[in-house]
Amino acid sequence: MSMTGAPAAYDVVILGGGVNGAGTARDCAMRGLRVLLLERSDFASGASGANSGMIHGGIRYMLSDRHVTELACRDSGYIQRIAPHLLFRIPFLMPFASAHQEASLVERATWYAMEVYVGTYDLYQPLKRGKPSTRLTAEELYDLEPGLRPGLAGAVTFDEWGIDSHRLCVSNALAAARHGAELRTWTEAVELVREGEKVVGVRFRDRLTGERGEARAPVVFNATGAWSPALARKSGAVVPMRPGKGVHLTLDRRWSNYGVACIAVDGRQMFLMPHENESIIGTTDDDFYGDPDDLEATADEVEYLLEGVESFVPGVRQARITRSWCGLRTTLFTYGMNEDALSREHLIIDHGARGASDHRARGAAGGPGGPDKRGDPSKVAEGLDGLLSIVGGKLASYRAQAEEATDRILAKLGRSAVACRTHLEPLPGGDALPDAAALAEQYGVAAPVAARVIYRHGSLAHEVLRLCQDDPRLGLVICRDEGILAAEVVHCVRHEKVRRLQDLRRRCRLALGSCGGLDCARIAAQLAGRELGWSGEQVRAELSDLLSQGWRERRPILDGHQLANEELLRGVHRGLGGL
Amino acid sequence: MAGPVLETDVLVIGGGMAGAMAALSARASNARVALVRRSPGATAVSSGVLSVGDDPRALPGDFFASRCSPGDAARWVAAADPDHPYARVGEGLGEIEQAIAFAAHELSALIAPPEDRNRWIMTPYGSAIPCALCQRSMAAGDLVEVEGLVAVVGFRGHLGFDARLVAQGIDRLEGLGAPRAEAVELALFMGQGESIAQPFALAQALEAPGAAEAAGELLGKVLPAGAAVALFPPVLGLGPQDGGPWKSVPERIAAAAGIAVAETASDVPSVPGLRLQRAIDARLAASGVELLQGEVAPGPGGPGAPLEVAGRSVVAASWILATGRYLPGGIRRRGVLQETIFDLPVEVGGWPRRTSTPMSTGSLARRPAASLTDRDERALQPLFRAGVRVDAQLRPLDVDGRPVHPRLHACGAVLGGHEPAADGTGMGVAILTGRLAGRAAAGKL
Repeated sequence: MSMTGAPAAYDVVILGGGVNGAGTARDCAMRGLRVLLLERSDFASGASGANSGMIHGGIRYMLSDRHVTELACRDSGYIQRIAPHLLFRIPFLMPFASAHQEASLVERATWYAMEVYVGTYDLYQPLKRGKPSTRLTAEELYDLEPGLRPGLAGAVTFDEWGIDSHRLCVSNALAAARHGAELRTWTEAVELVREGEKVVGVRFRDRLTGERGEARAPVVFNATGAWSPALARKSGAVVPMRPGKGVHLTLDRRWSNYGVACIAVDGRQMFLMPHENESIIGTTDDDFYGDPDDLEATADEVEYLLEGVESFVPGVRQARITRSWCGLRTTLFTYGMNEDALSREHLIIDHGARGASDHRARGAAGGPGGPDKRGDPSKVAEGLDGLLSIVGGKLASYRAQAEEATDRILAKLGRSAVACRTHLEPLPGGDALPDAAALAEQYGVAAPVAARVIYRHGSLAHEVLRLCQDDPRLGLVICRDEGILAAEVVHCVRHEKVRRLQDLRRRCRLALGSCGGLDCARIAAQLAGRELGWSGEQVRAELSDLLSQGWRERRPILDGHQLANEELLRGVHRGLGGL
Repeated sequence: MAGPVLETDVLVIGGGMAGAMAALSARASNARVALVRRSPGATAVSSGVLSVGDDPRALPGDFFASRCSPGDAARWVAAADPDHPYARVGEGLGEIEQAIAFAAHELSALIAPPEDRNRWIMTPYGSAIPCALCQRSMAAGDLVEVEGLVAVVGFRGHLGFDARLVAQGIDRLEGLGAPRAEAVELALFMGQGESIAQPFALAQALEAPGAAEAAGELLGKVLPAGAAVALFPPVLGLGPQDGGPWKSVPERIAAAAGIAVAETASDVPSVPGLRLQRAIDARLAASGVELLQGEVAPGPGGPGAPLEVAGRSVVAASWILATGRYLPGGIRRRGVLQETIFDLPVEVGGWPRRTSTPMSTGSLARRPAASLTDRDERALQPLFRAGVRVDAQLRPLDVDGRPVHPRLHACGAVLGGHEPAADGTGMGVAILTGRLAGRAAAGKL
């Protein structure tokens, strides 16, 4: 284990390669700062890749956090501008359910309130190019969604946007690199470097090579999500967080035509929605006290989700669940509230601020009313000048959060304000949207495959498909579920900071499809191994690691055909491959 | 029900390896046998080699050649794991060698004659797996036998097989007595689009007149010095078709290249697995087993009573259940673990091993899947060992531990207590219990 060279000089070291870290790295780099980003695993490997995959306005937060809704809607509009390829429309139905033969007065009043509520949401829709809501009669509702349970009285619709959240995060990181940021994945911050009360850098360790290093910078920005309290604690700082576990299930096909808003057994809102080639059920919201590295769905959570959806879409029990996945919402600590009621606000904490009134996102961190029993954490002087942390926030508002963080970092550095351009400049591949049919024709690949490549890479699809022209073998579709070309694997490995095979889960959805990597995983491992110079043993180790990840996601949902598929997977990889 | 009633001695449900062994064994005892299958099952997607058991006593670094025989390996498994079918059959395990020989004999068109030791066959993953039987097309690649260099041959157009990965896998086993290996690449199957790169398309292409010979000539030019065998991806032909004159692809390549030729075992999609299923189908037909295609609709009675099979009424004195595990659908989990034809009780093997309050079979079958698995994927996974519990005569037991019916037998992966797909004993269990069940069913006539 060697120390690498002389301590490099940066303006800011960003810890965490989630969407906050990657987004802030991009913004800082675009505003001329010298940036180092350290991520202990891969980009979007935490909550940034385990959310509902929606750039939504948070219709749910309109009551408590209206400005969260507004901010999210406004930024959703910006994201459409900078990454149009990553987004797709998901219209939602919010059915009117009655417990009686004839709807009661209270129920009718509730439906009217829902209509008004969604109508209010319509005010924000233009910000994100959403369509206005529509009131559907029962007949119209069943025409659109025949799988719904009988007896519904109608519905209101609202419009949302789906996104590949892994790609959004990775694109931000790659954009940061284009602007000169240095990105190190699979590299963990070991400790902060301090000089008296000042934080002057970070000591880090590359988890793959064991290499250690030290990076000096006047500002360290802790954007490690659910990991940030532990990281701060090591230096005696406090990040007040109440992590909430959210579980999603993936079904092997599009089980409904539209998103369906459902009510869970405890009255919580939840949903079934088509997403890319699959459907997603979400989500739970429960306090989580464990190790964020040790996150698995439980049988109870799976049952809770299925039960909630089943009450609106009875056939969902017949569906094949292919994965369960979890993330931790990094909600701000508040005492005396249910998880659901916790604010989705974000907060940027200055751990060195001495008595100074801290900036916070519009509104109070503790939510309206009720004093926070811990007092205001952002005002505690912790003697760690130079350390900033971000807590909370939403995927849809990541860009605004990053903008605010960058403003704070610039101020901390004493730099003059530079205008933010992250809402104007396209993300890599976001400058133009190629036509799938034309591209398929030009490069001799199937049109649906070309469409998938465009969806993930935008205008960079040309670069991906050009590889097939140079080497026709790379035209092989290695995954039929997700439409992954061998060329895409090679492109990601060459240009998208892939260090491990499992990184390809978050680049091109390797092994996330319904087969779980049955025959694509080894081919991808071989391709990545050739590009990265892995030995045979490394290829096998990477393959084993990739498959273990899938096992953890599937273990709670093994049933029906999925159990049969798992048997085949185990037979091939463990039995035959000896992995 | 359409058609006349079919009267027979033994009805086998399931046409994979276990069902075939049961049917052929019963035929060998002169019973009349009908076999019903729904669709190709786990055998058709298997690796193409038939493993009975690794040598659990083998120490790391033990040479292949010094390890114990497949039969002894099975005996070792039985001694270590009382839930395993090898243990459940009691004295029947003494027939393991005969059962292996019987399987090799019945399928001799495809299967190489057995040795009294495991063969070690490479896989596309760069691992080597021990097997009691392998296909003729693989025998020359037995790592114990090769004297000289193994030339691992890849086709440039076939991304599904990385010769380098396999060659490095062999080199890694040098301490176990494996030969040295070197990867070579044949500039074949380039640029013909996606379909050719898929295993079945490659196998078909190699069957074409002149294709194997061309590959062999190309190989002859690039063979490294000292090469004793050329090891190919498992795509060397689809096997004999329609009984016409046929020479195997490995033989054709070997003749043109002047070197012994072998293929590795296969992952999925598996050309050797399909070959194995075809060889089974051909052998069943040739030996006078009445083959039916379709579903079984269980009725109120047991063996001896009419049973609706593939739309026909079948009356058989004995029934043999050989429906496999999850993949072919013999056992299913729909919230609860079930045996799918007769709703026999399902046991969850291997867990909990010891408990102060014994749990009933039923309560375990109802547990959430996650509580029947371990988060370490490589640990023992009770969920994947779930199946029917039988006595030493391979008769399924009810919840009280009594045979459900004296002439109902079960064999193969539908039996609990082992993990057929991944624990390296799946085909061995099919061969042994298939043979025992077939004989027992025929013997009770």
